[in-house]
Amino acid sequence: MKRALPFLIIVAVLGIALAVGWSLMRSGTDAPIARYETPAVSQIAGPNPANTPGAPSPVVVADAGADPPHAEGPANAPVTLEEFGDFQCPPCAMLHPVIKTMEKEFGARLRVIFREYPLVPAHEHALSAARAAEAAGLQGKFWQMHDLIYTNQNSWKSAFDVRPIFEEYATRIGLNIDRYRQDLTSETVQNRIFLDGKRARALGVKGTPTVFMNGREVPFESLAPEKLRPLIAAEIASRGK
Amino acid sequence: MDAPRIWTTLLAVAVTPDLQTESNTSRPTLLYAAASVVSLVGLADAIYLTVEHVAGRSVKCTIVSGCSEVLSSQYATVAGIPLALVGAAAYFTVFSLATLGAFGYRVAGKLLTLAVALMFVTSLWLVYLQAFVIRAFCQFCLLSALVTFVLTGLVVAIVARESRP
Repeated sequence: MKRALPFLIIVAVLGIALAVGWSLMRSGTDAPIARYETPAVSQIAGPNPANTPGAPSPVVVADAGADPPHAEGPANAPVTLEEFGDFQCPPCAMLHPVIKTMEKEFGARLRVIFREYPLVPAHEHALSAARAAEAAGLQGKFWQMHDLIYTNQNSWKSAFDVRPIFEEYATRIGLNIDRYRQDLTSETVQNRIFLDGKRARALGVKGTPTVFMNGREVPFESLAPEKLRPLIAAEIASRGK
Repeated sequence: MDAPRIWTTLLAVAVTPDLQTESNTSRPTLLYAAASVVSLVGLADAIYLTVEHVAGRSVKCTIVSGCSEVLSSQYATVAGIPLALVGAAAYFTVFSLATLGAFGYRVAGKLLTLAVALMFVTSLWLVYLQAFVIRAFCQFCLLSALVTFVLTGLVVAIVARESRP
């Protein structure tokens, strides 16, 4: 019996280790992982003085955010959409093609600004994605990286290690990889994300995506293309262009 | 001696305890037992990290703030295998060898020295990566390194005790 005792102990510990591992694995499955993914923008939008349901709320003046912002479209465009996005948030990825469609449809009459608002720790890779996009931005290719990260969200959001995936995107869009790696953890990149976050907080952004049109928050339910399109058109018309 | 007989003999030596009374009196049984217990801490730590990896969940750092940087770095996997899983296997091996060593299995004691030496070097490398390459620290990885360093101390003490005339 004495000779078998150590082997019994070892087998018992192996069994306990496997049981603990299994238990830990199952314990997290009920966690509300979509807690921050459900856009609460429409609920937190606050009082809306406009009579039309779904119309943007009043203009809010707040911190400027990262300067210069990542923007597409002319600075003098009559309508500016400012999106606070999290690259790992599914509704943000769904909004991405909608914004692209609006850009195509309205052309030079629409300007789109993207602000970083990674929801950490709910989205474990959101900050890495924001850093990757900002690092690409330092080489003038923010939007290419932004588009790749959103378009391929499903292929990286569950990965354990996203760094090589984003590096592959960086290579694909022709970034200098050594510089990209250095920039990922640079103060400039961290500052930009911090400043965008500061602006988001000042504006009362609590969920993603949150979109402001000419400084007024667009309720989440109005971000569907069939609702966003007339809102932009009405804004352009009100500016007489 | 043909190959199967060599393996049979080696296996017999490995699983046969040293029953010589004189030798047993100088066996550092308590040190082996301590190594067993300490390795369980490392095993628990590694199991936690492995499960979080496999489940795709983020590990929350409560003491330091670099868990996500370290655990999502390219060094967190080796050929697609989570490093935490390799660590769990290593700690379980150390636990098994230390337990066998405590019960007088001499070969297990020698294998324990080899295993802990490898883990010590690996831990040094991983701490270096956290400090100078990733530039972020993960408390669970540091705990694992600490466990390995304690195990190294215990193994050094075991070797010193066993090499006494």
